Amino acid sequence: MIGLWIAKCISFILRWMGKSATSFPGKIALRLSPHLLDKLGSQLSRAIVITGTNGKTTTTRLLASMLKQEEPIATNAEGANLKQGILSALMEKTSWRGRLLVTTALLEIDEATLPQVASSLPIQLLVVTNIFRDQLDRYGELDTTLQKIREGAEQIQGTLLVNADDPLARFIGLHHKGQTLTYGFDNSMAREEDRQVMKDGAFCLECGHLLNYSGYFYGQLGVYNCPSCSFGRPDPDFVGSLDHHHLQIYNSQDQNKWTVPLPVKGLFNVDNVLAAVAAAHVCKLRIESMLKGLATYQAPTGRMQVFQTTPVSILNLIKNPAGCNGVLETICREGDAKVICLAINDEAADGRDVSWLWDADFELLANDESIVSIVTSGLRARDMAVRLKYAGYPVKQLYVETDFATALDKTLELANNMSIPSAFVMTTYTLVHLAAELLKERSDTNVEGAYHRASVS
Amino acid sequence: MSRALIIAHLYPDLLNLYADRGNIQTLLQRLRWRGIEARVVSVKKGEPVRLHEYDFVLLGGGSDREQKLVAESLRQQKEDWHHAMQAGLPILAVCGGYQLLGSYYELANSEKVAGLELLEMTTQASNQRLIGNIAIESEWCGTVVGFENHAGRTVHHHTPLGKVVAGHGNNGRDGWEGVQHHHVIGTYIHGPLLPKNPKLADLLLLSALEYANMTVDFYDLDDELEWSAHHSEWSRWTKVK
Repeated sequence: MIGLWIAKCISFILRWMGKSATSFPGKIALRLSPHLLDKLGSQLSRAIVITGTNGKTTTTRLLASMLKQEEPIATNAEGANLKQGILSALMEKTSWRGRLLVTTALLEIDEATLPQVASSLPIQLLVVTNIFRDQLDRYGELDTTLQKIREGAEQIQGTLLVNADDPLARFIGLHHKGQTLTYGFDNSMAREEDRQVMKDGAFCLECGHLLNYSGYFYGQLGVYNCPSCSFGRPDPDFVGSLDHHHLQIYNSQDQNKWTVPLPVKGLFNVDNVLAAVAAAHVCKLRIESMLKGLATYQAPTGRMQVFQTTPVSILNLIKNPAGCNGVLETICREGDAKVICLAINDEAADGRDVSWLWDADFELLANDESIVSIVTSGLRARDMAVRLKYAGYPVKQLYVETDFATALDKTLELANNMSIPSAFVMTTYTLVHLAAELLKERSDTNVEGAYHRASVS
Repeated sequence: MSRALIIAHLYPDLLNLYADRGNIQTLLQRLRWRGIEARVVSVKKGEPVRLHEYDFVLLGGGSDREQKLVAESLRQQKEDWHHAMQAGLPILAVCGGYQLLGSYYELANSEKVAGLELLEMTTQASNQRLIGNIAIESEWCGTVVGFENHAGRTVHHHTPLGKVVAGHGNNGRDGWEGVQHHHVIGTYIHGPLLPKNPKLADLLLLSALEYANMTVDFYDLDDELEWSAHHSEWSRWTKVK
């Protein structure tokens, strides 16, 4: 109990000082009361968990927005997804006497943390978004990530909802003892791969044979099957298809079809909406709650977050090749001229190893004439510049500015000088909150929100 | 009109763990900027390795599961590899590829994955991975910076690529990193290896051009950006010592 009190006091003081209290109180509480998570977890009647490499924070935020229409929940929607972040989220909804004030928790959980906390929570639904190559120096190798999620899933009695389009997520679903449901895009949206990018999980995890793809959605996500065993993409239980600026979802079990608006940009984000709506359906949410939740959705920090700077700037977190490619594709699809600021750090939370920059498809920028200049920044500003040079981006349009605030000013100045309508800022994790702060300071008003201009196909 | 330099990228579908694509891209661009024609042959799983057709070979790194698959395929042409090495074919092997050049790689569960036996070298997995930035000094190619992440501890009696100034190297004990034998270079350094180490990239290209019997004008490039990245990392990681 003492741990809870001290942590709640810290949290109170932090908030009073205007600081974020997403992880630190949990860290202190864990040290003082190591079993606090078990104690609070046992008071929940249900936990809904989102894990996977990309899309955790956005999917959680979307689903939270929908769930909150029906009941108060505990959630770590700011992306603090390690043990201390989960605990902080629960403590925030705990009384001083140690009683949890909500019965539902919606938590995004880091892949490696999942097996450590799964038994402490009554997980009724686990959503696996996808498994891409992430920070290798943290997990060792991709196989380890897969193993961690499997270990977590093994402790769960409830339903598993996995992305049918990702062979790695599908593989996890296949080995679950309980109910497994899948979601995926409509086959008609699959395209032939035109870019030579690195793909994960191109081999069958059941037998080792090369997987056959009849089409791709993005990254390794597509319509696949193994020519030598029975492994393949199932017909998803929840099928999503794009209908102008809406997402149409077909439930193949009850054969119901419904349409929701898209409060996000980029195909990878449409996949997050599909995951969240499918999860909401599994949680038996009313359709009105879903629609209202989506309508009031606000993008988390660094997920296509718009700032009213001059010109307008759009902030994006990048942390691995697949997520980065999604952002790059979305940026390139915006036809207007633009300036880009790419800030790369290599602190522990960013991933110490920056070799992933070479797996991301920066060649997209080299072949796009609408990208007028690129400013690189962060501890690895020079690495980023070298990456762009070898991608074929003209060196004379490249600026290296290690100081991040100066780099942002330079970006806005370059855009202003040429009357360019927007600047895109992409940063790794340890720079994203600073970026949001600096861009807010440079905003005309404090208006911010999700990026609503729709063009997703 | 001279022919194109043929660069073979072995098993990009299996050994692509640490952005090895960046090494290929660096070689290709540095040739292109000098107006030298080059072609990359990607050899995928199940396809034959035609060593006599290549002027340069890159073998990258993969996870244990993938490395085992590669080892089995490679060993079927053990003799060919030996002859190619003797003839002076330049080979760059990184991480997992490096380990495959030796007699075996012993996994944590004591299972031994037999290698190509090109070098008198063995590797033993440890449950403690050696991870972090690395900086070495090489008599052949000067200073080299990059990143390492390997469970294997490699021991050999050939010439090492360089002396560890910061980081772990071959085994974290003897202070050496990589290997250099005939025109074979093996190393744990990725990041990827070549973009930030332009001198090493050019030395590899020169040996490939020589092996290919191509006489070209191999002039210096403007490497200001590359060297600034190199020096920035060198001073970050060697200062601590």
